[in-house]
Amino acid sequence: MKLLKWVSCALLAVSSVACIQNEPLNAECDIVKASLPDDILNREPVIENDKVIFIVKNHISVSSLAPEFELTPGATIEPSSGTVRNFTTPKKYTVTSEDGKWHKTYTVEVEVNNTINLNYDFEHVRQKVTGSYTYDIFYEVGPAGNEVMTWASGNPGYALTGSPDLKDNPSAFPTYQIGNGRSGKCLALTTRSTGDFGEMVKKPMAAGSLFIGKFDILNAMQDALKATKFGTPFVNIPRSLKGYYKYAPGETFFEADSKGNLVEVPGKVDKFNIYAVFFEAVKGMEMLDGYNVLSADNPNIVAVAEINDADRVAAGEWTSFNIPFVYRAGKDIDPQKLIDGKYSITIVFSSSIDGDYFSGAPGSTLLIDEVSLVCLNQDEL
Amino acid sequence: MNIKRYILTFFTAAAVAFGASAQGDTTPGLVWSTLHALDYEVFAGVNIGGASPIPLPAEIRSIDSYNPNLNLQLGAKATKWLGKDKKWGIGLGIIFESKGMKTKATVKNYGMEIIQEGSRLKGNWTGRVQTRYSSSLLTLPVTANYKINSRLKVSAGPYIGIAMNNSFDGYVYEGYLRENDPTGNKVSFEGDSRAAYDFSDDIRTFQWGAQAGVSWLAFRHLSVNANLTWGCNGIFKSSFKTITFTMYPIYLNLGFGYAF
Repeated sequence: MKLLKWVSCALLAVSSVACIQNEPLNAECDIVKASLPDDILNREPVIENDKVIFIVKNHISVSSLAPEFELTPGATIEPSSGTVRNFTTPKKYTVTSEDGKWHKTYTVEVEVNNTINLNYDFEHVRQKVTGSYTYDIFYEVGPAGNEVMTWASGNPGYALTGSPDLKDNPSAFPTYQIGNGRSGKCLALTTRSTGDFGEMVKKPMAAGSLFIGKFDILNAMQDALKATKFGTPFVNIPRSLKGYYKYAPGETFFEADSKGNLVEVPGKVDKFNIYAVFFEAVKGMEMLDGYNVLSADNPNIVAVAEINDADRVAAGEWTSFNIPFVYRAGKDIDPQKLIDGKYSITIVFSSSIDGDYFSGAPGSTLLIDEVSLVCLNQDEL
Repeated sequence: MNIKRYILTFFTAAAVAFGASAQGDTTPGLVWSTLHALDYEVFAGVNIGGASPIPLPAEIRSIDSYNPNLNLQLGAKATKWLGKDKKWGIGLGIIFESKGMKTKATVKNYGMEIIQEGSRLKGNWTGRVQTRYSSSLLTLPVTANYKINSRLKVSAGPYIGIAMNNSFDGYVYEGYLRENDPTGNKVSFEGDSRAAYDFSDDIRTFQWGAQAGVSWLAFRHLSVNANLTWGCNGIFKSSFKTITFTMYPIYLNLGFGYAF
């Protein structure tokens, strides 16, 4: 039948151009895994999108180390994996994608256990700048003026809301620095709506947050509680967390329903949270996350300092807090593990206590300044 | 849905014309038409096809599912036969039709940008994409017709289409986004997490392309038709940059007609 011939001819014409082409070469240039030979690491390496941190055991010389890297298939690294370098200061590595079109520069740092500061004045920020947004990243400096710790926040996740307000405007983010601190500048945290994209992925709200640890953006969309990874090695014995705050709860409290839409809860007033957790870092749980950072049944938690619920109220003036670490029943500190850097600490500030469950009042603002961890030294144990 | 009303009106008009002609071959209008070598035909059919980049870009790794949807077509065509032996003719048609598809595809490093209410998310997606496209069009084809014999004729020519009611939406899932470009933050969307998109407002109103077809007169008045239509401009406005390659509408139309 001629008709059939015509039809099959036409279909052939379509299919001849509709073929799947050969797979393109990889465009990504990631360090997927990082390692140091000879069992000298105290923790799993921390690998971020442009940074790798090795935390080594005490008394390891960092002046001649040869880290090894596993990359996106087909990618190359310069200097090459296994090159011996002096890590007294952070070193740069450049990864090039398999297709040769993309390059990414990583900063690789080697940290020893006792580099964390005990006083935090929130005077230091650097900015993450892209064409569509700019946000603040808080960090601490050591006595020599060198950067010793970077605070984590949910800002990288909030950047994905793509709001045009975020361009060149760090104070449109949930976590940012402002000028009128108790002294100098201070930390500002504001709970914010995440707009259309946030609703689309059922994350309709973001509390302002700052914490010791890392924000794992890989999980930010699918499992927000897993995205906040808490803790850094700590070799002191914490006694209390003190500092100053101001708080203004937002006007209208919302919670997210199962569809990710915000539902108003009339009469409910938002609360902030400030807490610190001292815990043993064990294999499989070297860092805590949003699910287990405060759980009563987490066996690795040694002591928790959490602000009293009665104090989670509006404060128009700078108000001091001094929260003791409460040791969990049956928990004490093993001096040898402390020296070996087997314990970790995290400090967490949030402008909405249930922000990680997408409940809170947009606009709630928590200001924080002059925070200290009051500690005993190892020799006072 | 305005288009349904258009189609209904069109149907009614066609029925009236049909009714008028059915009164017999002696109808003065038809006699006049025959004298002037004019043929009339009404037809109906289904469109099977999709909007697709040509050739498929290397970023598309597989088409995992495809549903052509039920896209109906109703039209009328007048043909003026030329010359002594009336082998060649010029045809002018008017068609109300819908074009659509639903696909699931797997992509690698697929450049995209989602813009919604001023918010903007740009990046490269690796993972799965579901797309739903549907458009209602008024199409005006102009064709050259050739009678191979008394039963079989072929036609080819350009068409213009006016898209009146459009939707193009879907979501991405089971994969990850590299924010901004392949070196950016990696954001995973596994399990229930997905990101929806809606580009319905970016569909081009004025489309044009070419079509070629064959018509076989099975009975005295009933013909069986097959037509391939090929869009020459993409379904999206040229200002639309989210999808980096042009999506051409390509449809095979199968149907039957009534020749007066």
